[in-house]
Amino acid sequence: MNPSFDRRIRERRARALVRSWDYRQRRHARGVWFRLRRVLADASAAFAIPADEARTLIAEGHRAEPVGRELEPPKVIVFAPAERVAQIASARAVPLRLGRDLLEAESLALTRFETIP
Amino acid sequence: MAFRDRLLATIRAARPVLEEPGVLVVGSEVPNLLEPGAASTLVVSLDLDIGVPVARHAAVKQRLPDLAVGFRPSPEESSVWTPRSPDLLEVNFVGMDPAQDPADAYVLEDDQLPLLVFGALSLVAPGAEIELAGTRVRVPRPAGLLLEKLVTDRTGEKGDRDLLVALGLLMTAGPADFDELDAAYRQLRPELRHAVRSNLTVLSLLEPRTGMPDPRPRRSTVAAVLRRLEGVEGVVP
Repeated sequence: MNPSFDRRIRERRARALVRSWDYRQRRHARGVWFRLRRVLADASAAFAIPADEARTLIAEGHRAEPVGRELEPPKVIVFAPAERVAQIASARAVPLRLGRDLLEAESLALTRFETIP
Repeated sequence: MAFRDRLLATIRAARPVLEEPGVLVVGSEVPNLLEPGAASTLVVSLDLDIGVPVARHAAVKQRLPDLAVGFRPSPEESSVWTPRSPDLLEVNFVGMDPAQDPADAYVLEDDQLPLLVFGALSLVAPGAEIELAGTRVRVPRPAGLLLEKLVTDRTGEKGDRDLLVALGLLMTAGPADFDELDAAYRQLRPELRHAVRSNLTVLSLLEPRTGMPDPRPRRSTVAAVLRRLEGVEGVVP
């Protein structure tokens, strides 16, 4: 077999093995990154907020996303209406990607898309 | 020479093969060709992927002497034909086998034109025939190509760009394409359906890349597709 093809097939099969392994762990600790991305995919914007503001949002009835407790250190991740988040003076917009700003935030307020096509 | 001109010149030079029944243009050039006037604004690698159904391999081989006018087989990789002129792009032959597992790959051994047969290309079906540079080019149906992009493991810069190509396909997909996507997605085994959804979440959080569709204003569309696919199989996000 052409050495290049042979290498690419071995790489592909190795990736398939890893993917199967990842899939079997989708409900375990390793699957947290998919679960976190899935929550963030529903968010139109993300804001780092102080812990007491996050507690207030939860006390108001906004649900903390379970995935936040699956990280170490744990985060409070909560969806709230944009107009409610706008009332939090210290809220700081963070880019919606798995970057430093988002991952370092102890508490995150997320807003949902107003309309989903 | 502008990239679009090189792409069209490559299509013209590869006409003997591209007009062979069953042959498809696949890969990242497809969204470029589907832009109005084949505008080719996406930044992709400098090659044209030609999908050859394994059942048509012998017929395509018979056309290779005509291809040799503009290209020559790479001494390093026989499935790649390099251009004789800087005004052309490389041509990259890949195999398609509708009976193949989408997660697998195999080699169709051949002295003249060996093919790496990518399982994900089994999801691709022939779509519209478009006339470009005096050549009839068959492109895949959007749903299958989109699923092929989303089911494949993608890593690094190339992987991110491939997902943005998928975004480009999503942006031009119509209701019938989404219905077809649902049906094809339903046929995948659970592990591959998960891979599709996982890649969509990665796409949702990608940063913009030069020369590619900006994912940020399209995030709600990606979220809608995720929900739609979750609905297909009753998954609660």
